[in-house]
Amino acid sequence: MKTLTEPAIAVHQLRKTFGGRTAVDDVSFTVRPGTIVGLLGPNGAGKTTTMRILLGLASPDAGTALVGGEAYAALANPARTIGASLDAGGLHPGRTARQHLAIAAAMAQLPSARVTAVIDETGLAAAADRRIGGYSLGMRQRLSLAAALLGEPGILVLDEPANGLDPAGMRWLRTRLRSFADAGGAVLISSHVLGEIAQIADDVVVIAQGRVAAMGGLAELTASYSGDLEEFYLELTAETAEVR
Amino acid sequence: MVRAELLKLRTVTGTWVALAIGVLGLLLTQVLTITVLPAIASGVIPGADIGDELGNLDPGSPGFQVAALNVLGGGGNSLGSVSITAIVVLILGLLVATTDYRFGGIVSTALAEPRRWRILGGKTAATAVTAALLGVVLSVICLGTLLVSTAVLPGVDLVVPAPDIAFTLMRGIAVVVLFALLGLAIGTLVRSQLAGVLVVIALLFVEPILQGLAQLLTGAVPLWAQLLPLSLGLSAIAGADAGLAIPPAVALLALAGIVALLLGLAGTVLRRRDL
Repeated sequence: MKTLTEPAIAVHQLRKTFGGRTAVDDVSFTVRPGTIVGLLGPNGAGKTTTMRILLGLASPDAGTALVGGEAYAALANPARTIGASLDAGGLHPGRTARQHLAIAAAMAQLPSARVTAVIDETGLAAAADRRIGGYSLGMRQRLSLAAALLGEPGILVLDEPANGLDPAGMRWLRTRLRSFADAGGAVLISSHVLGEIAQIADDVVVIAQGRVAAMGGLAELTASYSGDLEEFYLELTAETAEVR
Repeated sequence: MVRAELLKLRTVTGTWVALAIGVLGLLLTQVLTITVLPAIASGVIPGADIGDELGNLDPGSPGFQVAALNVLGGGGNSLGSVSITAIVVLILGLLVATTDYRFGGIVSTALAEPRRWRILGGKTAATAVTAALLGVVLSVICLGTLLVSTAVLPGVDLVVPAPDIAFTLMRGIAVVVLFALLGLAIGTLVRSQLAGVLVVIALLFVEPILQGLAQLLTGAVPLWAQLLPLSLGLSAIAGADAGLAIPPAVALLALAGIVALLLGLAGTVLRRRDL
């Protein structure tokens, strides 16, 4: 992992509307190297839209989202800088995990040895040559994480990576992300599993109705709630909890 | 990107099914049009009196033999009709674009290569390579069935000179590549696999209908109707001796122009689109 510039992720006054509905409005936050930032919010709050803009998949109406000081589209080989897992999507059911990763490696001009390495790392070795169509959601999550780790990036952006993972998988994810951050990596992770975020995040950003409702160190933000992230989150988002 | 796109194509069943149908479809139509029909017409195989109803069925004539080298199939009866192979070639290009959208793979692709024009460039090159290989296989089938028919049918010799055979087949391969790229452009624009297949089928069936209608109204096929993609492809393959209004080289260039225009439009849309 190469040394990251400070901050690893910088989102500044981001704004995005879809057909007149404001999905993200004036969202700003940073992710420093060596930290895990939990991106929280109710369904439709704007978390995924923020991530998609950061990853160059959608264009903002205003504001900037930079990765290591550069727009995603300007990265020479993004897979070596930032790995992303977006809700275990993008998996063709007719392909095997090995084929999926071989395609990803070819797109990022990575050696095929990396395919075997991430298959082993994510515990998919026994299922690597089976069709993805027969995978459980947890196995798909592991495969999606394997693809994110393929280029040995310094930054990870993970959208609901804990969905479908069994307890062993949750523990593996927690341990892996912690060691990743401890080695200087930066992680932006969105999740509705607040217990998981409470265990691994250093900082949290809470988005509600497209705007940042709160952000800061997890310990400071939850201090008045006896460190209970769920209490803090539910109180903060009580008025905006309904799906938009 | 090209290697990755070729790998994507190789690892989905749809590609192999499309290629198999294209090859078997051509084989079937070739055997039927350049061996069975002439044999029935000449009485070698007993059957109905089909006379001149199906066009030139003289297997010894240069026109028949050049038409038999049409890699899209149909022999001398292909003009204005829809061949299985033409549908397959268009759908092959369509699959390159729409398979990525159908299962969300376009997101992985855009994450690996955020410069969208390069994505389309990779897909274009992979489609062209695959279509060219398919075109070579189709050419071998056309030439093989023609050689077999001239060997089997009594009193029939190969009368088309070797250079004419080579140029006809090469034009055919070029048309296969351009048709596949046309499918790629359509797929990139519409994204949905089902919608893309419907557009391709509509394109292939509406064109002959329009030409027939124009011919009924004006007594001849007007120039605009001959500048439609399917007609341009068939004019490009048919050769100068077929007596079509648009010479093969012009037809090939015009088809290439239409494909380039549509790919340019597809690239612009892809660059601006949120994924």
